[in-house]
Amino acid sequence: MLIRTALIAGAFALTSVWAAMPAHAQSVGKAPPGGAYKKVSELVKLPDFLPGLGTLYVDPKTLPAGPFLAYDHDGRLVSTVYMIPVEDMQAQKKFEALKSPGGAVDHVDMYFNAGHPGVEKPHYHVVLWHVAKADEARVAK
Amino acid sequence: MITRRALLRAGGGTVGLALLALPLRTRAEPVIEIAMRGNSDGSKVWFDPVGLLVEPGQTLRWINRDPGNAHTSTAFHPANGGHALRIPNGAAPWNSDYLLPDQSFDLRLTTFGVYDYFCIPHEEAGMVGRIVVGPLDRGPSDRDWPETARGQLPTPEEIVRRKVIRRPP
Repeated sequence: MLIRTALIAGAFALTSVWAAMPAHAQSVGKAPPGGAYKKVSELVKLPDFLPGLGTLYVDPKTLPAGPFLAYDHDGRLVSTVYMIPVEDMQAQKKFEALKSPGGAVDHVDMYFNAGHPGVEKPHYHVVLWHVAKADEARVAK
Repeated sequence: MITRRALLRAGGGTVGLALLALPLRTRAEPVIEIAMRGNSDGSKVWFDPVGLLVEPGQTLRWINRDPGNAHTSTAFHPANGGHALRIPNGAAPWNSDYLLPDQSFDLRLTTFGVYDYFCIPHEEAGMVGRIVVGPLDRGPSDRDWPETARGQLPTPEEIVRRKVIRRPP
């Protein structure tokens, strides 16, 4: 119950932030995003392209939460992903001022992930899609 | 690309003698595959089969069939991150290191007994497996068993009876 409440509150907050984002916040629209962002598959042993997510970039200093920027096969930004460990939610840990460089959000998905190199703790993916639901197929496989 | 890692024989100091003693028929047994799987959103990960009965010296092959994740096959052994010993006394521990999709790791177990193993990034998610090298000896105790693994594994007796045990994700 606590986790669900936290996730819903987080989603509302993040969606509000995105709705207010100016259109110019698209400098990360094409891969690679540059700056402190590194390709995740070059930081840890994971495939370059993750079915369902795409090719991920992250600033290592922001682990585990991120943001992770996800790109399709053509290097176009499709989503921004936050990875929130379940144990941090249960401990009521506060996450604030998470960066949000991706621009307008179309819709949000949240789902459990058992873990993977880089974020081994079971966690939730909070996915802010910058494309329409139908365009999620660009990173399906 | 499929990387087949070096074959590792886990059987302590008596490995060579044990292999020499194996009948030719046993050494010619086909490779037994244990798949590392995950569902599409990564919410579930598992070894398939989760329980397996094998003959001494048979080649086991763990292969990552999960397109969206990396996995390991790692023995419960103090040498692997200080884990409790859950393989037979004297048997050598193993750790496949991370396997990307379609990569594999081969292993031959020659000491009789029960071997428990886990996936490093998914131990907390309960990704564990059990191999019985027959005939059945006493299995490891449940002392120090990780909480997430409780209820995940079949008993050694069940593995011996059914030989291969698969569980739905």
